[in-house]
Order: sequence, then C-alpha cells, then structure tokens
Amino acid sequence: MLTIILRSIIIYLIVLFVFRIMGKRQLGQMQPFELVLTLIIADLATIPMAEISVPVLHGIVPLFTLVILHFLLTLLTRLSTTLSAVVSGKPVILINPRGIDYKAMKKLSISIDDIFEAMRGLGYFSLEQVEYAIMETNGKISILPKAELAPATNQSVGAQVEKAVIPINIISEGKILKENLALANIDEAFVEKFLKTNIGKAKIKDVLVMTLDDNGAVYLQLKQGQKQIFENVRAA
Amino acid sequence: MKIFSKIMLVLIFVFLIAISIIEEVVASGSLQEAMADCLYLEEISEGREDLRTQAIALAVDDLEYHWKNNESSMCFLVNHKNIQEIGLEISKLKVYQKENDLKEFRACLDAVKFYSQSYLHFMGANLHNVL
Repeated sequence: MLTIILRSIIIYLIVLFVFRIMGKRQLGQMQPFELVLTLIIADLATIPMAEISVPVLHGIVPLFTLVILHFLLTLLTRLSTTLSAVVSGKPVILINPRGIDYKAMKKLSISIDDIFEAMRGLGYFSLEQVEYAIMETNGKISILPKAELAPATNQSVGAQVEKAVIPINIISEGKILKENLALANIDEAFVEKFLKTNIGKAKIKDVLVMTLDDNGAVYLQLKQGQKQIFENVRAA
Repeated sequence: MKIFSKIMLVLIFVFLIAISIIEEVVASGSLQEAMADCLYLEEISEGREDLRTQAIALAVDDLEYHWKNNESSMCFLVNHKNIQEIGLEISKLKVYQKENDLKEFRACLDAVKFYSQSYLHFMGANLHNVL
C-alpha cells in the first residue's frame, strides 16, 4: 500500500507539472487536439499508479513525450495557418443575414436545438435577434446580435464615466499579501494604522478581505462582521 | 512561450533521450550477460553425466549473482512481470544442479536462454515493436 501511496504522489506531482507547463486553458477553451491530449494524460497517469509491476517511468516517459509533441504541434500550427486549419479546424458561420446555413449545420453535425441552446445561453431567444452565429474551433458558438439589439455601451450612449480602476487585494483571509502592497504603493505599517484607526482592536488576522483601489476606496470585511467601505483613504 | 517552459521542454527532451539510452544499455546489457552466462554453462555442462562439479556450481552462482545485480536496475525500466520468469528459472536451475537432474537442468537452461532472447527482442526499438 505504501508503494501505491508514494507512486500516486509522484504521478500526481508530475501530472501537475505537465499541466502547469502546458498552460491554463479550461476544458471549454481547448482545441480538439488539446482535449485528446488531456484525456490521454489522465489515462496514462493511472497505469503506473495502481499497477506495482509497471515502473513509474512507463507513465512518465509517455507523458513527457506527449508534452514535447504538444509543444511541437502548437509551434507548427502557429507557423502554418494551413496546418492550424487541419488540426484545429476553422470557425464556421452557422447563421448569416440570409438565415441558417443548413449545409454548415450538417457538416458540423449539430442540430437547430444546439444553436437555440447556444443563443439562449447568450441571452438571445429568437432567431430574428441574431445577425451572425459562428461555431468556433473549440466548439463554442459566438453570436453577433442585430445592431439594433446589441447591448448599449457607455460609448454608444455618449455617457461620461470615470476611469475604471482595479481594486488590489491587500488582505486575504487574515494574511497580508506583501506583493500587492508594493502594487498599491503602501506598506504594512499603513495597513496596521488604518485598521487601528477605523476598526479599533481588530488585527490583520481578523480580516476576511481588504482591497484598495487607485481612487483610495477601501473595501473591508472582518471574519466576524459586515462589509465596510471607506473613501479617499490615501488622502486621509 | 515563457523562459520557464522553454527550459523545462529542453530538460524533458534531454531526459527522454537519456532514459532511452540508459534503457538500451541497461536492459540489453543485462539480458546479453544472462545469455552469455547461459552459453558458458551450456558449454561446460555439455556431455557431462554429473552436474555436481565445482565449475558448474560456480557458473550457476555467477549467473544468479549477475542476474540479481542487473534485475534491480532493470526494475526501474522494465515491467517486472516481463523479467520475473528469468529469476524463477535461475532458482530452479540451481536446485536441479545440486540434485543432478540433467533433464530438468537443461530444460531450465533453455528456458533462461529463451526468455533472455525473447525479452532482448521485445525491448529493442525495432519496427516490429513500434508497430
């Protein structure tokens, strides 16, 4: 049993490493060859994990070989659009201003229901609302609505808006994020002083979350308590 | 591609080449050594009615000693099930040599030769194995 436990740990770490260097794509974003690769990796990893007579190297070597192949294929598909089209396919227009392209539907083996499902998922319930629908190479359907039904943006309505700012996470579950302190241009002493001034006895370990944005707005919530928002903290 | 991924890819590539070379050297070397020991044993036992001589006993011990040494390093590279028969036949060989059972001794010797030869073929990178 100890052998199986140790083998499982080794294989787990190797699979983790393999996925780490292969990138962070999620299942739905994968190209067909990436999905196949993921399934093969999962299968390969289980063999030496449970079968003691099989050396761990019999699992590691094919895994590493697939990683090399994956990178080679990715590199080649980047260099050649033809190869990219062969390996990953091309986006296909399913709905155009003339209506649904039945030939494309047949070619992709999808039904009207699949198109409706994708449309509903994006908030469009009628075919009349859609100008174009495109089946992407990863199998997702993208929708371009008719111009009059497209969501309004600040730009399209001419609204004056403030510059968008990203709040920087300063404390997360009682731990101060030192890398983010530098990004926010503050130090630990500032955080402690702020907590002392505004919360009293609460310490950093009592904070669930604290964020600070470029406008000086602080969002603070203690583990035992409700959210509090402070404006112009830097100015103060 | 990040520099980390590039370095890792190069390391993986080097690892794969190294492991292929090591496998070729260790597995082939071990099996060829077992084969050579068997041939020597066959040579010195041929035509003899009595197997209980010092030369044959030493040759059997050598075969067992070499195999045990090589088996542990082969376990990193080869499925254990594929090579365990050789160890089993060598153990039997030792018993039959002590009991002077000529028929079984020769059968075991042939079995060790057969397994060594088969695995030598089985482990090599040739077209039959690849396809």
